[in-house]
Amino acid sequence: MVSADVEATERMDRGDRGAREVLVVGLNHRTAPVAVREGLALTDERIDEMNRLLCSLGGVDEAAVVSTCNRVEIIACASDGERMENEILSVLRDMQPGIAGDLDNLLYTHRDREAVRHVFRVASSLDSMVVGEPQILGQLKDFYARAASVGATGTVLHRCFHKAFSVAKRVRTETAIAARAVSVGSAAVELASRIFEDFADKTAMLIGAGEMGELAARQLVAAGVGGLMVTNRTFDRAVEMAREFGGTPVPFDGFPRYLPMADIIIGATAATGFVLTRDAVQTALRERKGKPMFCIDVSVPRNFDPQINDIDNAYLYDVDDLSEVAEVNLEERAREAGKAEQIVLAEVESFWRWFSQLDVVPTIVSVRAKLERIRQAELARVLQELGPLTDAQRQALERMTTSMVNKILHTPITRLKTHDRRDELFFVDAVRSLFELDEPEDP
Amino acid sequence: MGLVFFSSSLVLYLLATAAFVTHLMGVRETARRVALTSLGLAFALDTAGLLARADQVFALRSPHDQISLLAWFLVAVYLLLQTRYRLDVVGALVSPLAFLLTLSSYIVYSGDDELSRLGSSWLPAHVAPAFLGYAILVVASCLSTLYLLQEHQLKSKRASGLTRRMPSLETLDALNYRCVAWGFALFTIGIITGSILAKVAWGTFWSWEPVQILSALAWLIYAVLLQTRSLGWRGRRAATLTLAGFVLLVVSFLSLNLGLSHGNGVG
Repeated sequence: MVSADVEATERMDRGDRGAREVLVVGLNHRTAPVAVREGLALTDERIDEMNRLLCSLGGVDEAAVVSTCNRVEIIACASDGERMENEILSVLRDMQPGIAGDLDNLLYTHRDREAVRHVFRVASSLDSMVVGEPQILGQLKDFYARAASVGATGTVLHRCFHKAFSVAKRVRTETAIAARAVSVGSAAVELASRIFEDFADKTAMLIGAGEMGELAARQLVAAGVGGLMVTNRTFDRAVEMAREFGGTPVPFDGFPRYLPMADIIIGATAATGFVLTRDAVQTALRERKGKPMFCIDVSVPRNFDPQINDIDNAYLYDVDDLSEVAEVNLEERAREAGKAEQIVLAEVESFWRWFSQLDVVPTIVSVRAKLERIRQAELARVLQELGPLTDAQRQALERMTTSMVNKILHTPITRLKTHDRRDELFFVDAVRSLFELDEPEDP
Repeated sequence: MGLVFFSSSLVLYLLATAAFVTHLMGVRETARRVALTSLGLAFALDTAGLLARADQVFALRSPHDQISLLAWFLVAVYLLLQTRYRLDVVGALVSPLAFLLTLSSYIVYSGDDELSRLGSSWLPAHVAPAFLGYAILVVASCLSTLYLLQEHQLKSKRASGLTRRMPSLETLDALNYRCVAWGFALFTIGIITGSILAKVAWGTFWSWEPVQILSALAWLIYAVLLQTRSLGWRGRRAATLTLAGFVLLVVSFLSLNLGLSHGNGVG
């Protein structure tokens, strides 16, 4: 009993868990150019097909394919990592024969702790092109659900993905990784929210039809800005855009008359002179009784007189200022990412503790040891209560309790030794949780 | 008993200050909860402490009681506002102020002063509204300071984690206006009862004491501020005026306590 315990502990220390490995093979926006990534992009049907195919390979227990525009990855749990890696490589090569030769340089393989860490980092958006972007988590959930729906995932990947989702949530709440605007449009919204509390009773005016202006207007409306006026030198275009945004078209010649109603003004015309002058804003502000105006000039050359910023209660940002805000925020995200990496590392360790115990032999050893401890303790208590006994009586008690424990454990242990690998993990996990084998022992 | 209350609330005010600052530097929600909880606890302790000595406190005879009351009002006004708006940054200013006020209330001469020998029932009628008005104007000054900070950062196209955690200019300006309006009303009552007190004690409503002159100037500034809002004097101008009035109030308060005035004025 004791020697088996020691042996099992040594096995675990060596990281030898019946050669079960977690593996990530794939490529992403850092390792592969878009030309390669688009060649490997998969349709939903193709993903289901691959999930099934991977699981049917010998030695592969569980697999999940992830395919977004920035990454193609296969996350797998396998008894033979080496073979698995080769299989996956050949599957990928078959997909795009043209680049077969280069593929080896583009692909990365992560094993064990590194593989788990990679999955956690992807879920937390630490591996994204724009760190902290929110889409990846939802995508990952979809791909996990897809793999689960064809039965490709099991105990290990199930736990790994769910842990990844909760790590992502922790990162989001405990760091400011996604708190800052990193595009020009969202920077405009962020600045507006430092000036205005409630967007619902605010009106924006979009001057011109430039793409960036449209983007900023769209983001402001999405953020809740109540009204939108649209003006353009070509009135038909203004009408068209107003319809698209649910706004009101305003004639270009008379737009200064509507300025006092505008809390936010976006300039995006192709004009070379100043469309919005200092005087116009000053007049509008007087009529507004000093209620602040936020002027966003996203056009090049600039449409708004830079002196507007010198007027009390008027705030002028041009496209460079907005980019600057976005740039600074991006740097801040990078700083927050450091904190997020620490969270990920800690969670990988906790996952790994669970995973490295997830094997038949150590589980049998622990469950036996636990019951033996209970037996000994109860026996000692009874012996004390009974007072002096003969040796024969004492041995009878020993025999009886031992055989009770053995009989109770007989079926569970037989089940644990079943040879179906996926059932095996299911039972191991169940036994560990039913007997609380992963909980710290009472002193 | 009093000393236990006093030292515990001092510690809690310090804790609240530290927790507010921690919260504003990072993103941890825990720090915010600690800050608000310790401020709330300190407030409860102060309330209990004031009630325990209710008969003396509400006579408001000693500077000690007056300053304690000012601190209590200040925290009360802040906590009231915080239930409706997210004003953690204001909390980071109010907590250390409450700490300093509570501390100084114990440092100042705690016997009866000249005022208390007047024994007039007009004293509480003067001190209570005037100090509640002060407390509200202190909060208004905090809001104005934040407004100027936020405005400066926006104009100069800079942003720090702190300014992003501040309320918007719109909220700061609107709250500032409301605080000044309420503070002004109470302050006016304080001035009226103060001059009645002066009449009862010294036989004259007005005696050109520094405290009277300074308070009257502050009163004028706040009156101008409230009147010109409809002309568009809001935002930066309103914030600057609020702070100017506040400086006058502080000076008048100090002139009273440093013995420049007899204390028969409004403060």
